[in-house]
Amino acid sequence: MPSPLRAAASNRAVIVLAAIVLVAVVAAAAILLLRGGGGEAETEAPQVQQAEEKFAGTIKIGASLSLTGRYSTEGTRTLAGALAVVEWINDNGGVEIGGKRYKLELIYYDDESQPDRVIAIVEKLIKEDGVKVLLAPYSSGLTAKAAPVAERYGVVMVSHGGASDKIFQQGYKYVVQVLTPASRYFQSTLDMIRKLDPDAKRLAIIYKESEFARTVAEGTREYAEKLGFEIVFFESYPADATDLTPILTKLKAAQPEIILGGGHFKDGVLLVKQMKEVGIKAKLIGILVAPAHPDFYKELGEIAETIVYPSQWEPSVKYSPENTPPGYEWYGPTIEEFVEYYNRVAAEVLGKPDLGLSYHAAEGGAAVLFIAKAIEEAQSLDPDRIRDAMNKIRIYTFFGKLQIDPETGLQIGHEMVVAQWQNGKRVVVWPEVVAEAAPVYPSPVWWED
Amino acid sequence: MASGGGLEPLLDTLKAAARKAGPALAVYLVLLAAYFIFPERRQLIATILFYALLGGAFNIFMGMTGYVDFGYVAFLAMGAYGMAIAFTYMADLGYWAIPVGFAIGAILASILAGIVGGIALRLRGAYFAIATIGVNEGIRFLIEGGNLLGGSVGLLFAGKIKEALGDDGFKMITSTGSDLILFGLAFLTVAVTALILSTRVGFALQAIREDEDAAKALGINVTKYKLIAFTTSAVLASLLGATFWSLKGNYVEPARVFNIHYTVEAIIVVMLGGAGTLLGPLVGAVIYQGFNFALNTYVAPFLRELGIHALGIHLPIFALILLAVIVAMPEGIVGYLRARVRSRVLREVLA
Amino acid sequence: MVDPALVLSSVVTALLVGCIYGVLTLGLNIVFGVLRIVNVGFGAFVMLGAYITYFLYKDYGVNPLLTIPVSFAIGFALGYAMYYAAFRRLVGAPELSTLLATFAVGVLIQELARIAWSPDIRGFTWDIGVLELAGVRIVYSKVVAALSALAVVAGVYYLFTRTRFGLAVRAVVQDPEGAMVVGINVDRIYAVSMALGIGVTVAGGSILAIYLQQGIEPYMGIPYTLLAFVIAVMAGLGSILGSLYAGILFGFFEAASFLAFSMIKDALGLDILPYVLTRSAAFFLLLLTLLLKPEGLFRR
Repeated sequence: MPSPLRAAASNRAVIVLAAIVLVAVVAAAAILLLRGGGGEAETEAPQVQQAEEKFAGTIKIGASLSLTGRYSTEGTRTLAGALAVVEWINDNGGVEIGGKRYKLELIYYDDESQPDRVIAIVEKLIKEDGVKVLLAPYSSGLTAKAAPVAERYGVVMVSHGGASDKIFQQGYKYVVQVLTPASRYFQSTLDMIRKLDPDAKRLAIIYKESEFARTVAEGTREYAEKLGFEIVFFESYPADATDLTPILTKLKAAQPEIILGGGHFKDGVLLVKQMKEVGIKAKLIGILVAPAHPDFYKELGEIAETIVYPSQWEPSVKYSPENTPPGYEWYGPTIEEFVEYYNRVAAEVLGKPDLGLSYHAAEGGAAVLFIAKAIEEAQSLDPDRIRDAMNKIRIYTFFGKLQIDPETGLQIGHEMVVAQWQNGKRVVVWPEVVAEAAPVYPSPVWWED
Repeated sequence: MASGGGLEPLLDTLKAAARKAGPALAVYLVLLAAYFIFPERRQLIATILFYALLGGAFNIFMGMTGYVDFGYVAFLAMGAYGMAIAFTYMADLGYWAIPVGFAIGAILASILAGIVGGIALRLRGAYFAIATIGVNEGIRFLIEGGNLLGGSVGLLFAGKIKEALGDDGFKMITSTGSDLILFGLAFLTVAVTALILSTRVGFALQAIREDEDAAKALGINVTKYKLIAFTTSAVLASLLGATFWSLKGNYVEPARVFNIHYTVEAIIVVMLGGAGTLLGPLVGAVIYQGFNFALNTYVAPFLRELGIHALGIHLPIFALILLAVIVAMPEGIVGYLRARVRSRVLREVLA
Repeated sequence: MVDPALVLSSVVTALLVGCIYGVLTLGLNIVFGVLRIVNVGFGAFVMLGAYITYFLYKDYGVNPLLTIPVSFAIGFALGYAMYYAAFRRLVGAPELSTLLATFAVGVLIQELARIAWSPDIRGFTWDIGVLELAGVRIVYSKVVAALSALAVVAGVYYLFTRTRFGLAVRAVVQDPEGAMVVGINVDRIYAVSMALGIGVTVAGGSILAIYLQQGIEPYMGIPYTLLAFVIAVMAGLGSILGSLYAGILFGFFEAASFLAFSMIKDALGLDILPYVLTRSAAFFLLLLTLLLKPEGLFRR
């Protein structure tokens, strides 16, 4: 049966193929034209040239980032944040080694969120582009993939979007972290609850079945038990669950006072929406990741009110040179400067003026800052000296404290802030030093009818 | 021991197999040379190899029988888990953990192939494809839900490899070591495919592909030959998973190693190149990965310099090209050329 | 030991979700039943429907229910165009070609959606009230979604069993050459069936969006592809009412196995994940179905 079909197909093969390729090219060109912002690059060129003269040379930082595929939202923001800090550093004299000033340059490629692409890109960055330091890819999974390559070539790689603790238990020498690891995500939230309500006991933990959320959940359970909470519910749901009603009905029956959990954006929104539908009551609900996104409120409206979330960073957090804690040194842009640079980079360099600011951007930026500081401390581009210098760094930045565990490279300085949706706004409520307002507790939306 | 009369057909078979394997082996040798000449391209070459093997092992079953095993990726997962188990729980074996890991993976894959083959090979067409998806997802969710072998977190064992092989051993095995094993696997896959094609098994499979009922009527033990091809494909796939995901990647995560996306990529590689041919998967992999890499790392930054922001534009373009190939050249690029090349020698090369 | 409210809520959810599963599976099943093409790009069409509902409701305030026919119409046109652009040549081609072709179409639609609408995850709130029943809260918008799903299934059933078109389709399915001999335009039947199947899938995406109201993004349809495969096999590939029955059965199976695994977990104190295990059980159920009754549970 297929043979006449094939014969017919092959006769027209060349014409059809040519026609389709033509369509593809035209479509591509059309999309490029629609999306592109062709004019800006030319006007920018002279500026770059001018800046170049101030510097003795260029230090290249490499990155494999997820600009398409399932992590594209986070990856694109990370890129904008990293570029923002690179530009800020360059505008403020670059990085100094041996009395000479060097310009930073970020070289990046899209890994399509595909693990098998990452390794080829990381090698290209090291061997062909000659980068001296690497930003890790976004997510723990991709970071785990890139780590052996960085380790083999002995190039320092800074993880900014891989909260996993596990990567740092592998004895990698050249992999370090700037964000708070997953196991400590809810610690500050639990501390806050203890302070607000010493009598709160019944804690429910519900999380998405994934490496990240699970590490968070287990870390939360452990820390909560230490603080004297009783875990009345501890369960997970699959990433692609259509309806969480049954598991939430079960959760409701456990009568928790506090609910902590979630996973990523999509399931987090569904979780909160269906909690309300099922009629769950709680003094406080803390959800991972999702509430940090501006769209969270847009989609949920007033049931998002008083939802609490742990955050690596918030644009409104008040880290500043003035409140630098003892033992730490202020380094890099202020939050206002970072936001300004971010918006400019997003609009002018990436052509995405409406790219919302999220903590991913700050993480990317913090990684660049940590690298720049390490190079200055090391006074060298030698990976071993950079890595050694990193052990001694204790800086306070727009992202908060940064300090790594010398042994594992795990981040031990950075702390999660706790934020809450109040009257349609994300408000930092904890720790008190950098808070904008007091937490609303117990939640009038969720606790009373 | 064997008399001259018994030896001759065997020699003929081997000769035929060698002739079939020749061109593909030559291309792999060129890749191997490139691997040493261009050290800055090693990971790209390794990635291309991975896809060539992904397609190559898939091809043994699908290309020769026409059955589409959507759960094929599960065999790679078995291999990856086998190697992960060896290092995670038997790190004190040192270098012996590697053969032990391959063995565990291959055994797991064979068992799985036996079970799936026993159940699903009775089904045809879409039913077979969907049944294999069921097996794949069933195992994945069993591992996650039952919290087995690290559950949904999986096994990350770079530290264990270091413990077993030391720092230098770790660096060697996660880079050049695993890459060279990939080359070894490539030669093995070509040899096995060529042997199958040149023996009774190959003829039987071809008969099955053309018309299964007729083959049965001719007295061919259809189930037996299908199982042979299926298990061979499964074992080769498990070796690939063990090498590329575990030895090289050191991380086995159920959501990833059971991702059907890899089966689809195997199909793409085979279809682009040409199903049932030896060169096909290799050509498919070079086009699939080479095209992607070039667009991504050269064309995209170049466009960026020009101020054109086109993130991920190559994916829709690729989808269109794929569609064009399927509609216009259903027998793949190698198959298409073979049907049109006049020279007999060239035709043989493309076989 | 088991909370009655939990059981009741599980039953209601199973029934409602089951209807959604049913209509989604129907879209897959029409295309397979008539053209023998397994639509691997299925999820992309579901996604399309969800976006249509989202944009029409959010930007133009159209009642979400009215977006279902709009989605159907768009899907119908798309399916019709797809048939003449590519799939006409692939009817009767080897499995592999059609699997890959539908996959490529899916990728194309998803990536274009990502470029046009960004990968941001969207959602909306369409609140039309809640019914409180014996301690269980039933959201009306979900009930409405489930009823729309039933309506679509009923419409398709009517079309295939009570009209001349349906008669022609059945003739083509049974014997394409014979159908041609008696003067049926087989090519057209294929085109319209493909259009219908895609139309129902896109409409199903709208219904899903009304049900969920959340998580609308370019890759949202992918998990539903696998799910629809499983349910389609249980239904019997190509069966119309079977799709609905199997969808509902699957909903109940999910709920029951969740309860069962939860009880096992609590009783034995095992460190297992009940909700995830239900997925595993579902796929083993699929295998069992294929082994014992490969023609499906609901096929006469």
